[in-house]
Amino acid sequence: MSKKKDKAWFVLFTVPLLFVFTTVVIIPFIIGIVYSFVSWDGIPANPKVFVGFDNYVKLIHDDRFLASSWHTIKFTVLSLIAVNLFGLLLSLLVTSKLRVSNTARTLFFMPNLIGGLILGYIWQFIFTDAFKLIGQKTGLENIFFNWLLDPQFALYAMVIVFTWQMAGYTMIIYIAGLQGIPDDMIEAAKVDGANMWHRLTKIIFPLLMPSFTICLFLTLSGAFKMFDVNLSLTKGGPNNATEMFAMNIFNEIFGYGHYGLGQAKAIVFFLIVAILTLTQVAITKRKEVQM
Amino acid sequence: MIKVKKGIGLLTVTALIAAMVGCGSSNDGNSSPSASSGSGSSPSASNSSPAAPEKQKKITIFQSKVEIAESLEALTKKYTEETGNEVEVWGSAGDAYGTQLQAKLTANQGPNIFSVGTGSEAEKLKSYLYDLSNEPYVSNIAPNVALKLDGKVVGVPYGVEGFGLVYNKKLVDPKNVTDLASFTATLEKLKADGKNGLSLSQEAYFLIGHIINMPFALQPDPKVFIEKLNKGEVKLADTKEFQEFAKFMDAIKANSGNPMEVKYDSQMGDFATGKTAMVHQGNWSYGMLKDYGDLGFDVGMMPFPLAGNTKLSIGVASNWVINGKSDADEIKASSAFLNWLLTSDAGKNAIVNEFKFIPAMTNIEADSLDPLSKDVFEATKSGQTVSWAFNDFPPGIIVNDLAPATQEFFLKKDMTGQQFLQKLDAVWAKATK
Repeated sequence: MSKKKDKAWFVLFTVPLLFVFTTVVIIPFIIGIVYSFVSWDGIPANPKVFVGFDNYVKLIHDDRFLASSWHTIKFTVLSLIAVNLFGLLLSLLVTSKLRVSNTARTLFFMPNLIGGLILGYIWQFIFTDAFKLIGQKTGLENIFFNWLLDPQFALYAMVIVFTWQMAGYTMIIYIAGLQGIPDDMIEAAKVDGANMWHRLTKIIFPLLMPSFTICLFLTLSGAFKMFDVNLSLTKGGPNNATEMFAMNIFNEIFGYGHYGLGQAKAIVFFLIVAILTLTQVAITKRKEVQM
Repeated sequence: MIKVKKGIGLLTVTALIAAMVGCGSSNDGNSSPSASSGSGSSPSASNSSPAAPEKQKKITIFQSKVEIAESLEALTKKYTEETGNEVEVWGSAGDAYGTQLQAKLTANQGPNIFSVGTGSEAEKLKSYLYDLSNEPYVSNIAPNVALKLDGKVVGVPYGVEGFGLVYNKKLVDPKNVTDLASFTATLEKLKADGKNGLSLSQEAYFLIGHIINMPFALQPDPKVFIEKLNKGEVKLADTKEFQEFAKFMDAIKANSGNPMEVKYDSQMGDFATGKTAMVHQGNWSYGMLKDYGDLGFDVGMMPFPLAGNTKLSIGVASNWVINGKSDADEIKASSAFLNWLLTSDAGKNAIVNEFKFIPAMTNIEADSLDPLSKDVFEATKSGQTVSWAFNDFPPGIIVNDLAPATQEFFLKKDMTGQQFLQKLDAVWAKATK
């Protein structure tokens, strides 16, 4: 009797979710795979021609696509480090016995509440106008110039904006992790004479591993898929030097009207993100310890 | 404890069901009135206002010109007041208009009325364009400017537009800007005076799209030239007009501010405040200048003096078209709105005085044109015009390929005009592969 009831509950809660997941994720995904084998310009009235693996062969020879993947890798590595470093530092800061720690938490988290598009436009102003002004006033024109016009620095600019947005979010996760560590354990370590560094590396970090898993996963996949900041801050410019994966796919589809090729890129993109994040989760999971 | 759990379960179920029912009923609420108004046979609607004109279905407009967005919205409100029919204007999107329009059309959420450029852009969206040949207002379109595909009129031009060098009459004398040497000398002199001689801006069309029109338009047959270029039979770097164009670009790069740091707003702002002497812009930009009130100087438009050219580039930028994939009622309502826009006093007035278009309709008088439009209008009348060759460029090439190449030209300090041409050849070949 109760088993039957359990099953009913199970069905009640999973079927709606399954339905939504199927209609908005699974089905479009399968359609997407089909599109990656045709040549089509995106106008419904025009013919879709089956071309087999042509699109996949084409994308290997697409210099702009390869360049954009290199930008994406650079961006991801840099922002992975920056976001988690700052997130961790901030969380350690606001869990210490500061008087303003609650206010600080709110303030650090706030950038995450602003959409990436708006963030991009705000920072565009900072990098373009404010930086130039600072450079002129202080004479430090080697550091403070219009970053968005330099291919190298435009990428760093994106890392800064992304970090500013995401550090607060990872901070929250790290705070939760830190608060899950029992005080008596830290106290015992203190009594045993462990200094701050030892407490951090031998007790706090190992126990924080689950948070690391989550944060690394979020930033890794987030940085790889980043589009909004890319669009509003640099639009992929100057001269396509900051065009990321997602934006390259968007431009291929909507700029050039190559739906099939763009879709093939998207499938490759999906595979790369999936493999990378799964590997990362597998590795960091292994490092997690039980209390 | 068990009771509590049961209670929670029950609560959840009730909440879920309530949510479902809630959604369902609100959907019903939304759909029923529109269905009845669409069918037109609803007794209550016809009883309440028997004298009012026929109630049309609500339509949507999406168009590319940021400059007229506000006035268009105000105009549609007036339309609703006069006729009771509703029109919704979607926000304009500037450079991103083409992509957004395509995304909306592909998703079957396209607007009922939208705008397309003449040439390859209209060709691309051919399957959506409703045949307007039998609509009454089409007969008022001035000769040779209607948007025609396969012999059918599918679009009504916004108006005629022209671009060239918009200049500050206090700072520049057109007599001193007639060829490469005098153009360069003028820029150098202005630079010595602490003024910015000529400003482009970072938007794709204002950066390269418009200014590169001149060497194309000066070819004996621009359309044939572009076709040859697409096939790789000619190279820009080997063509005389383009070599001269490259020297102009060199002069601009050497003597004026970096356009990559300038946006349309700041370009016109610096021009209005006298910091910039010339901008490469069209008559549409007067709408921006107007916001600055009394400028303290007169403005005019002169030809871009490539190879001694004395003509302005004039054409039809955009056309109103009706989405033929809308349902029949929506097409009817859309056509009614266009008719009102093009024949009613309020509509005609808005086209000339609010949108600041130089009318391309014979039934619209243009007696109160702004200075820039007047120059364009004069040039049109005297035949001092060249066509908009870029309308025949492969779709999207200006935004996708030419603009990034031009960014590189302006950002790399040691890149010469000739190298710029080779770069343009390379990206052109890639785009048409």
